[in-house]
Amino acid sequence: MTGRWQDESWARSMWWSGKTTRRKFLALSSTAASALGTAMLVPAPWREAFGQARPYKIGTLQPLSGTAAAGGKTALVGVQMAVERANATGGINGRPVELIVADYESKPDVGRRKAEKLVVEDKIDAHVGGYLSNVCLACMPVYEEHRLVNMVGVCLDTTITTSKCSRYTFRPFDYAPAQAVAVSPYLVGKMGKKWHIAYLDYAWGQSTRDAYIEQIKKNGGDVVGTTGIPLGTADMAPFVSRISGSFDGLFGIFFGANAVSFTSAVFDLGLTKKYRYAGDGAIAESTHLPALGQKIEGFIGINRYVPVLDPPLNTPHHRKFFDQAVAALKKIDPSGPLPDRYVQSNFEATNFLKLGIKKSGFRGREDTMKLIEALEGMEVKEGDDFPQGDKMLRKEDHQAFIREFIFTIQGNKHKIVEVIPREQTIVPPACKFV
Amino acid sequence: MTTAPAARRTPSAVGYRIGLTVVLALLALAPLVLPPFWQRFVTEILIWGLLAMSSDILIGYTGMVSFGHSAFFGLGMYGAAAALLTVKPPDLWLAGLYGLVGAGVVAAFVAYFATRLRDIYFAISTLVFSQIFYVIIFTWTEVTGGENGLTFSQPRLSLLGLGSDRFTPVTLHWFVLAVVTLSYLLIRRILQSPFGKVLESIRENEARTRAIGYHIERYKIVAVMLSGLCAGLAGVLYAIQNKFAAPDFVFFTVSGEVVIFNVMGGMGTLVGPFAGAAFFLLLREGLSRFLTEYYLIPLGMIFVAIVIFLPQGLLGFLRRRLNQ
Repeated sequence: MTGRWQDESWARSMWWSGKTTRRKFLALSSTAASALGTAMLVPAPWREAFGQARPYKIGTLQPLSGTAAAGGKTALVGVQMAVERANATGGINGRPVELIVADYESKPDVGRRKAEKLVVEDKIDAHVGGYLSNVCLACMPVYEEHRLVNMVGVCLDTTITTSKCSRYTFRPFDYAPAQAVAVSPYLVGKMGKKWHIAYLDYAWGQSTRDAYIEQIKKNGGDVVGTTGIPLGTADMAPFVSRISGSFDGLFGIFFGANAVSFTSAVFDLGLTKKYRYAGDGAIAESTHLPALGQKIEGFIGINRYVPVLDPPLNTPHHRKFFDQAVAALKKIDPSGPLPDRYVQSNFEATNFLKLGIKKSGFRGREDTMKLIEALEGMEVKEGDDFPQGDKMLRKEDHQAFIREFIFTIQGNKHKIVEVIPREQTIVPPACKFV
Repeated sequence: MTTAPAARRTPSAVGYRIGLTVVLALLALAPLVLPPFWQRFVTEILIWGLLAMSSDILIGYTGMVSFGHSAFFGLGMYGAAAALLTVKPPDLWLAGLYGLVGAGVVAAFVAYFATRLRDIYFAISTLVFSQIFYVIIFTWTEVTGGENGLTFSQPRLSLLGLGSDRFTPVTLHWFVLAVVTLSYLLIRRILQSPFGKVLESIRENEARTRAIGYHIERYKIVAVMLSGLCAGLAGVLYAIQNKFAAPDFVFFTVSGEVVIFNVMGGMGTLVGPFAGAAFFLLLREGLSRFLTEYYLIPLGMIFVAIVIFLPQGLLGFLRRRLNQ
């Protein structure tokens, strides 16, 4: 035995000898390359069951690294769950589904390039996914140019199905105007007439703020003030301390770490005692609850999905989805988080695609128009494919309308307060397809 | 004697010209033989290469590390977007003009304040300026589109009175190649002129350069503006290729990547940062295909290995090997 590990014979022969020689560098590189190559030669699990049947190639762009990595990995779980389920139940039209994953690093330029790669090189038949709205918007022209269906998984920006809508893009979940229509009667009728809105000061926050101002006023209430807080502000206390005056409720439009910072500041400065606190459901995602503890108690939020098994989500379909999602999420996060709306919407987006492919007899990209026509106006019922509830993909703008849940936080858990049927969330279409 | 200029040419100059001709020929042929994805990718490498080259004017030749190139690049992109969205039909040359004016104004503003500082203080001030522009673009949604940026249609390729046609991937590649080549030759000529030699002198010994009578600040301002204009031109080309502008390009991490291009390729060589950009982008693309989000680990290790084993960058290493 020698004193230093670097002087051991195995270490000297493997790597350490005081300098790196070209021979050693090449030996290590080729070993790594061989290991990688061997791993790539292992056939995909669905190959054996489907023999020579040509798979449907579904591409999914997600931010698996960079600022949005945590959400992107969660969203990917939803797509993977749906694809695994499809392959386990005989595929689609007897063909397996091959999922091709690309990481866009939370950057629009990389997203655009990866979208090109999926479309041109991997020759995907359709795309499902997308997390950050700016990347979704940057990639939409790629799908349009190459004529393939793009099923959005998370992107919330209103313009995706309004001013920048595309015949090739579908959003199979809700958006801010529909949520505002759904929750505003509750806010004005049961919580108070006068509201102050605090929001993340960028495109999503601003457009969501405008939707809520319009609907609160339409329902007989008033928005007496607004406070914009820059995205990524670590200490929100200076902004929150300026929120004062005569109003009944404070409505927050935040997500991720910003939501945690904002809620902490609101609680610490005593605003939750003075005013009713409500906001976008993203403020109280299950992943935030341990960090917020008592601070989020009594919060009223609106969301398309809450991870509870209470009515009306006490169905066997939802329990199955819930249990599978918890197991899948535990693989990427050992703390075992509960599923959130990102898992749900990606799971259901992939299932929409599956149903559209079945209904249209879609064979490949040459049948994209048939697939679009099958998806346009498609109505689906609550079931294993759609555990969140019934849905309708509106033909005019490719925007889905779904039921919404108004919930509160009690004992650090979600509790459904009211369910808004999808018929009461409808917003007139504002899209003209080119 | 007509043969005199040729006789003055040194073997290395002849080698350089042959090398440049071969590389240009290969780049011109690339879109004709490569599959569609790689056609686009090579065009993008040219654009990022121009951005890397622009920063080399400051980092490599003047000894000023800039973290503000994302602002010049982004303003070039938003300037082009402004022209393409407001002028109907979208005009290629007007997009270039707007982009250069946007980047030039910002470069003049940054240069005026930042060149009063040196070393790390200069680097930090450029970073602060780029972040100021980022926040303005990110929050001024009505004008800049905020986080979502701006999308627009591609202008037609018009050659000043010779008619116009839609860009194809091949013609776009040739157009970008022509612009990048002309920019490279122009920058090279400027850096070989007495002006360029003063910049190198500032890099080597600023106090002595000042002592012999040069107005250092003026030279630095011109260097920042020249660098900013070239970065803005890269932004214009990116906007034309991708038909969108986003605030992410103004964020300082883009400047950080540009510094990495310089370190990888070899600073103070012009071609080195270009090679660094190509190497980095190809490596990132290749690794991310097999390792998805884990690609950053080997990429980081390779970067560290280059810094340790090839401190003069890839081009410096190549030069040394060729000289042996």
